[in-house]
Amino acid sequence: MREAAIVLRRELRSYFVSPIAYVFGVLFLGVQLYFATAGWEDGGQASAAAFFQLMSYLFLLFLPALTMRLWAEERKLGTLELLMTFPVKVSHLIAGKFFAAVAFLALILLLTLGVPITLATYGNLDWGPVIGAYAATILMASAYLAVGMFWSSMTRDQIVAMLLTLVTLAALFLLGFPLFLAFVTEWGIPAWFVDLLEGISPFRYFVSILRGVVDTRDIVYYLCFCGFFLYANYLVLQGRRVKG
Amino acid sequence: MSMIKVENLSKSYGPAVALDGISFEVNRGEIVGFLGPNGAGKSTTMKILTGFLLPTSGSATVDGLDVVEQSLEVRRRIGYLPESTPLYTEMRVDEYLRFTAEIRGVARNKTRSAVSRVVELCGLQRVVGKNILELSKGYKQRVGLAQAMVHEPDLLVLDEPTSGLDPNQIVEVRSLIERLGEQHTVILSTHYLQEVEASCSRVIIVNLGRIVANDTRDALVASMPSGPVRACIKGPEDAILSQLAELVPTETARVVGQKNGAVDIMLDTAQTESDVEEAIAALVVKNGWGLLSMTRQDPMLEDVFRSLTTTDEKVLENA
Repeated sequence: MREAAIVLRRELRSYFVSPIAYVFGVLFLGVQLYFATAGWEDGGQASAAAFFQLMSYLFLLFLPALTMRLWAEERKLGTLELLMTFPVKVSHLIAGKFFAAVAFLALILLLTLGVPITLATYGNLDWGPVIGAYAATILMASAYLAVGMFWSSMTRDQIVAMLLTLVTLAALFLLGFPLFLAFVTEWGIPAWFVDLLEGISPFRYFVSILRGVVDTRDIVYYLCFCGFFLYANYLVLQGRRVKG
Repeated sequence: MSMIKVENLSKSYGPAVALDGISFEVNRGEIVGFLGPNGAGKSTTMKILTGFLLPTSGSATVDGLDVVEQSLEVRRRIGYLPESTPLYTEMRVDEYLRFTAEIRGVARNKTRSAVSRVVELCGLQRVVGKNILELSKGYKQRVGLAQAMVHEPDLLVLDEPTSGLDPNQIVEVRSLIERLGEQHTVILSTHYLQEVEASCSRVIIVNLGRIVANDTRDALVASMPSGPVRACIKGPEDAILSQLAELVPTETARVVGQKNGAVDIMLDTAQTESDVEEAIAALVVKNGWGLLSMTRQDPMLEDVFRSLTTTDEKVLENA
């Protein structure tokens, strides 16, 4: 675990020395605050749910840009070769990078605390759901990051990694979209299959946690989802040892 | 005990065979040069030794540990500088070296002294606080060497440590490697022959995934037929050539130049007997000519390299 922590620290530092952290942070916060405040003018409710819902859409666009470089850049620069000859297990390398990305995201999320605090000042904010919503957002973001990291390990081209991540996440998003599911049902696809499709999509679980109902099944889902893509990532990196 | 022991090691990338059953040993304290044309299998061998690649078949051990079964243990004992010196360019030199020390298992309270040791050894004092991105190629190379030995490994694996450097930097890096060789076992790959001549105690020449030679530099050179004899004789050209023809087959002698009434003759003799020179000298004395100079050009490692790595290719093409 010591090695994973060392990788995590290096990764986290690299976010902050490169402009990407600031570009990402400012852009993300700016867009988010704009949307979050835009709805209040016509006497909207002091509800955090809409704000977090919005965040899940924004992640769809922004997180692929954050994860695209994680392995692709190392492969292109050749540093992956050196990294994989350090006395560190591949699983620890993956854990270090993944949790560094999650930690970076959590730091950016901390900056959005201003929104619920403002809401609490002007209205009666129920903090329980807000905390649940932050947890849900982190889980959701982790799932996105795991997908992005996986695609980054598949190619040395960052743009390709980003596009593939975007497509994958968009497809998963569609699977959880009620209108799409209704559309598919009309096509005569069996109900159990539609249920399955909906079950795969991370969005249903997000919405469920967002409602303030923390169900262990939702959390298990996210753990499995991340585990699946991180394991695929592991297989890809181990495959490099065979293919070169 | 041998530091590296490679037996029948093969590696294929799909249908392409990069290594075709090579075997060799490297003893503790040796500096061994891995020589070969591009694509000969030098880098592949190093990547297998350092645990980055898995071999297709065969085995390799480092310090008695299997590179596949005990990969982590092996990697702890190795300092590796890959080809083209990949570095995290956004980090400062000291940050980077501290990171490599920590991740290679140097105890936390010893990282500071480990880093300052290699900074001094590699002459990095002036750039230690700079971003790696800002460094010249020579300094980057030194940072690469520094990270490879920050944990005082038993074995240093250096893949083309001087490629892309200017002549002054090459001399610096070479002398650094020689100093390292005093305490470590070093295996380095190169296609600069002078590098091997300058710093290696033994040469392994690889070609097309096979080892074609494995010996000390002197032994390899001695195995070559000796080079041509060049003599500068003052006298009538026709007489000289006709007399020489009695000594050696005529087609081997050719006039390469004429100056001040002397003929410069090159004898491409395959005969290795040293008495060719003696016979020529006797001939000159007998005829009353003047012998201005006579030298036999010794074969160089370059000749060994060329003869071993080009003939093989032709043999394969004809096969």
